[in-house]
Amino acid sequence: MKNFEDIKAQWENQGDIKPPVNGIETIINKTNALKNGQRITNSILAVTAGLLIIFFFYVKAYLEVKATIALSLMILVIFIRIALEIISLNTLKHINFAEDNQRFKNRLLRYYKKRLRTHYIFTPIILLFYIVGFVMLMPYFKMSLSKGFYTYIQISGCVIISVGLFLLFKVIKKELLSIKQLMN
Amino acid sequence: MGYCNGNEPQAKDLAQDVFVKVWDNLKTFRKDSSISTWIYRITVNTCLVHIREAKKLKFSKKLPIDLESKFEIVKENQENRFQQLYKCINKLTADNKAIILLELEGLQQKEIAEVMGLKHEAVRVRIHRIKKELTKCVKQ
Repeated sequence: MKNFEDIKAQWENQGDIKPPVNGIETIINKTNALKNGQRITNSILAVTAGLLIIFFFYVKAYLEVKATIALSLMILVIFIRIALEIISLNTLKHINFAEDNQRFKNRLLRYYKKRLRTHYIFTPIILLFYIVGFVMLMPYFKMSLSKGFYTYIQISGCVIISVGLFLLFKVIKKELLSIKQLMN
Repeated sequence: MGYCNGNEPQAKDLAQDVFVKVWDNLKTFRKDSSISTWIYRITVNTCLVHIREAKKLKFSKKLPIDLESKFEIVKENQENRFQQLYKCINKLTADNKAIILLELEGLQQKEIAEVMGLKHEAVRVRIHRIKKELTKCVKQ
């Protein structure tokens, strides 16, 4: 290839991708699937919240001040994390994709920086409070559960926290890469 | 195709995402620009978000079907040239990649400026620079 005109000629030789026969139908179905997906996610969150509250009353956690504080703390931080995620997803959803690229890029950059702040500041605090709540509940687990089940809770708790930290690290890495690419 | 390194299934998925956004935002189209510019803006911005998935992008090992049948004999040679071209495009910054892909698609520089939110003169200078950069890279 000697010059850019050759590159352009080669590019034009690529041949167009044929549009699918049922393209419009696919797009309508995908749009509906996305909306249904959001509805399902919201329903799952509502059910989870309901179950946690039922569990709170079922184990009569309100009779013990320390257990009430511990369980409330765990439930509260889960809700805060979910709320932060919903706000973040809504922000991304409301970014206008029809804006010119420079404005869009700036908005996207602000969005990723905000997400990064959430991951660096709020998520570790949330995780810390969750761990505090979990540790506060341990004596109650020890008192009321068999030794085997108590050990299982101890191990699974550690595994869940480790996985959480690993996922947090992965997400931060991914968001940092996005910012780096956008700033190029 | 350029954004997906010639990977046709990924290009189709991306095209579908673009049309979902066009469908969703159609009521917000104010006719400030032509409908094609408006759709190109959505396309470039959707591709920009797609760079988050950049790691998953693989170079296509197969040529588009049309091309494959047209140039059966020189297939391997063509394949290498396309891969080299995609590789060179992929080395550009996100902005430059979008600009040159729009240029390769045959858009007027004025329209590219509208899509990118840059001044016409700035786009003209940039295209000149990217053309040189790309030609140099492809020759290597």
